[in-house]
Amino acid sequence: MDQLPNLGREQEMLSIMGLNSMDELFSNIPEDVRRKKPLPLPPPQSEEEIWRDAQHLLGSNIDLDSRPSFLSAGLSRNFVPTMVGMLATRGEFLTSYTPYQAEVSQGMLQAMWEFQTMISELVNLPISNVSMYDASTSAAEAITCAVRVHNKKATQKDTIYVSELVPPHRMSVIKNYVQGSGINLHTLKHDENGHLDIDNASIAHGSCAVYVEQPNSFGILDEGLLDLKGKIGENTALIVGIDAVSLGLVSPPGDWGADIVVGEGQPFGIGPTFGGPIYGIFACTEKYIRQMPGRIVGQTYDTNEKQAFTLTLSTREQHIRRHRATSNICSNETLIALMGAMHMSLLGPEGITVLAKRVAASTQATRKALSSIEGVELIHPKSSIFRDFAIKIPGDSEKAVSFMDSKGVIAGFPMGLWWESHSSSILVGCDERTSESDISSLVLAIKEWIKEVKN
Amino acid sequence: MSDIFSFNGSPKAGWSQPDPILSDSEVLETIPSSMLRNSPPAWPRASEPELVRHYTWLSRRNFGIDTGFYPLGSCTMKHNPRVNERIVNLPGIDRMHPLQPEHQIQGILSIFYEMQEMLAVCSGMDQVTLQPVAGAQGEFTAMRCIQEYHRERGEGHRNKVIVPDSAHGTNPASASMCGYEIIEIPSAEDGRIDLEALQSVVGEDTAAMMITNPSTLGVFEPDIARASEMVHSAGGQMYYDGANFNAIIGKTDPGLMGFDAVHYNLHKTFSQPHGGGGPGSGPIGVKEHLSKYLPSPIASRREIAEDDPEGVGDGYWYNWVTPEKTIGKVQQWHGNAGAVIRCWAFYRRYGRELERMSEHAVLNANYLRFKIMNPDSEVLTKIHAMPLDGAPTDFVMHEFTLSMIDMKNKVGVTGKDIAKRLLDYGVMAPTLYFPMIVPECLMIEPTETESKEVLDKFAKDFLNILTEDPDIIKGAPYTTDVSRVDEVWAARNLILRHPGNNSEDN
Repeated sequence: MDQLPNLGREQEMLSIMGLNSMDELFSNIPEDVRRKKPLPLPPPQSEEEIWRDAQHLLGSNIDLDSRPSFLSAGLSRNFVPTMVGMLATRGEFLTSYTPYQAEVSQGMLQAMWEFQTMISELVNLPISNVSMYDASTSAAEAITCAVRVHNKKATQKDTIYVSELVPPHRMSVIKNYVQGSGINLHTLKHDENGHLDIDNASIAHGSCAVYVEQPNSFGILDEGLLDLKGKIGENTALIVGIDAVSLGLVSPPGDWGADIVVGEGQPFGIGPTFGGPIYGIFACTEKYIRQMPGRIVGQTYDTNEKQAFTLTLSTREQHIRRHRATSNICSNETLIALMGAMHMSLLGPEGITVLAKRVAASTQATRKALSSIEGVELIHPKSSIFRDFAIKIPGDSEKAVSFMDSKGVIAGFPMGLWWESHSSSILVGCDERTSESDISSLVLAIKEWIKEVKN
Repeated sequence: MSDIFSFNGSPKAGWSQPDPILSDSEVLETIPSSMLRNSPPAWPRASEPELVRHYTWLSRRNFGIDTGFYPLGSCTMKHNPRVNERIVNLPGIDRMHPLQPEHQIQGILSIFYEMQEMLAVCSGMDQVTLQPVAGAQGEFTAMRCIQEYHRERGEGHRNKVIVPDSAHGTNPASASMCGYEIIEIPSAEDGRIDLEALQSVVGEDTAAMMITNPSTLGVFEPDIARASEMVHSAGGQMYYDGANFNAIIGKTDPGLMGFDAVHYNLHKTFSQPHGGGGPGSGPIGVKEHLSKYLPSPIASRREIAEDDPEGVGDGYWYNWVTPEKTIGKVQQWHGNAGAVIRCWAFYRRYGRELERMSEHAVLNANYLRFKIMNPDSEVLTKIHAMPLDGAPTDFVMHEFTLSMIDMKNKVGVTGKDIAKRLLDYGVMAPTLYFPMIVPECLMIEPTETESKEVLDKFAKDFLNILTEDPDIIKGAPYTTDVSRVDEVWAARNLILRHPGNNSEDN
């Protein structure tokens, strides 16, 4: 209770107002809706006691850095430069609200304008907003945005096509977001190499949007996607979900016809942090600018013609347009995007290239090591991969992961939890920090599991 | 001015990292050349010393609660305790993955469970999910649950959601995203809910009513229980927008008022820092009949068994459960866990005394309102025109609205001019022109973490502005980094990224 500067001065303030008791201030709450009993909660704690409890409770978790870990599946066990946390938690950034008063918010506005530029450069599309909640809500709102833009000319009205390999949790978010608009959702098939069936993809021609991921949920980089825009045509939005780090190495979707690019920004700026707060990337071409969701910063001038920044295109947003807004998003993930901007600027053009190569190298090296184990089968041995790849092992993969966990290795994600048909598959996730020794530990653990199953 | 793209130094000066564990050729041979990037993104080339200075410079051109008083109505800009930031840097949250098995995450699950229980108790709800990551997403999530509830009962035809005209813009936007048609009802003249207007629109097509209480005018709705009855008897559900929850904890709760669902803005009431626009956290609580539709998963617990691994030492084993008819996911993982943990640390500071927090929030709002509305006679004679109460009421709750319409009519000074002039006095401007039903509206919410001295000073400065030369006020601000910013130019020209002064070098 050390957060109340006026504790103990209540009577003084009340008497200035000509009042006697605090209760008078609450006299407009009718008797029949009043709470009669005190809150059944524990007593207040001091900062010292809270810190002690936090250390105890969070210390009882097992964190990814405490052992060899191969769990990725959409998040990165990254290394965030020390500068990032220290600067982003400067109080002027940390404790500011959405920059409605531009004159005293130039710092955050400029930082977000610079963020928009860095995302724009990364994906090679001209426009970026200042973040969505995560990769999934970015994808979902990209779809509803594309339907608003393309539905008029679409020959398949209110219809979109989504890769069948979009992971179930993202699919669920997408379904929740699109159901209210009456959008028909179809899936696009893949071949045995995990590549999109590109000939079949032309069935999406004339629909409002196609959503695919590069790499997909099996970590596969699909060369065929480079031709996808040609198959679906100008009036169908190509929406691509990315691994942001991969773009240090592979071709940005803006180069191969993507209209909207979405993805998880987390690898730049913040640890996996149990899945949040993280931030969604949302970038697009000019065509979508008046229908896109989220805050956008624009450059302008002040009355003395000095360069300045301000939030712009607010007429799309809920506080102005209310039920006709392009999205309900209000609070977003600005601070995490700021951390992302700091991380990206520290990496620079050379650093992002090295970082992407590190992840690619770890993935290659791990796949190679696992493929030599007798009993382990690569599910897509011929495909190019980034960060994740899937293996098939003897027995049930959930049990296998649990067994290897008891040997001190987090071996990956048991894919049966996503798709029943993959109950023997493990999604092995690598990152820039995967070491030769981590890989050896994983190899050993898998060998032990195989021995265990045989017995 | 300087921007980050003016840094284009030597690549050698950049941040260092270990080499890849394979050679370039080993990496590149596995990726078709057609897929490779031609040139890297034209990001800045800067060293750590340069960047630390750049971002420090930017931070000094930004106003936060730490800089000064931040009376931004509806946003509850209270102090953010620093231990909360320290806690979320512990590896037990920062280095955790949402797909880790339960036995590795007992500590997080126990905190989630405690937060679910605490929020349910404070709001009179039966079950809470922490998954929505912002207030607006909480609204959307709850409306999805309500939608499924009606559908399962064979009442999917209910397609209308009622909102008062004073509602936050997110309410109609969120309901609309679910496919609902919005019926906006006018407020009564005193700013309160108009029961007759409500009666005239409720019916067998009503899915829900969304309302915040205290209202956006900072006034408690005395007829709230009656409104709940009316909506319920028509078969609709009552949704509580928790943006103003800071006013009522321990005094009343949405359950007592008859609500079926509620969202909490942890970034308002429970001090998750706003960070220039987010992250937020927008858990929702629901009554029993809606709980089976909540997003999945939810933290649960049972008594620890002998063969269980070690828990957190409180005699319970924590686990995830999936609600029976879950709507699935609204965020990819388990919500903004980092925000939930910060807010857990904040809640622990008050425990059962959370009521004191609300009392002080209400005390500060009433005190500030009193000081503004009752100037010394000497000051009063110099004031061009006094503000008008946004709502006629003896007491407000945690915030209040002022109409500056008389200043506008008498000397041509708008609410916006006054807001901009306040910046020169070293404080943040109040929320401007919201709710829209109050002309030239300023919405002021001091929060409980401001001292009497800060409130006295603000009242004095505010009243002083009303005595200033109108031309001075209209030209404000003068002392800020930039003078008044041309928003129209920005919207017409749409310069949304740096033109790229070093892109040719890449």
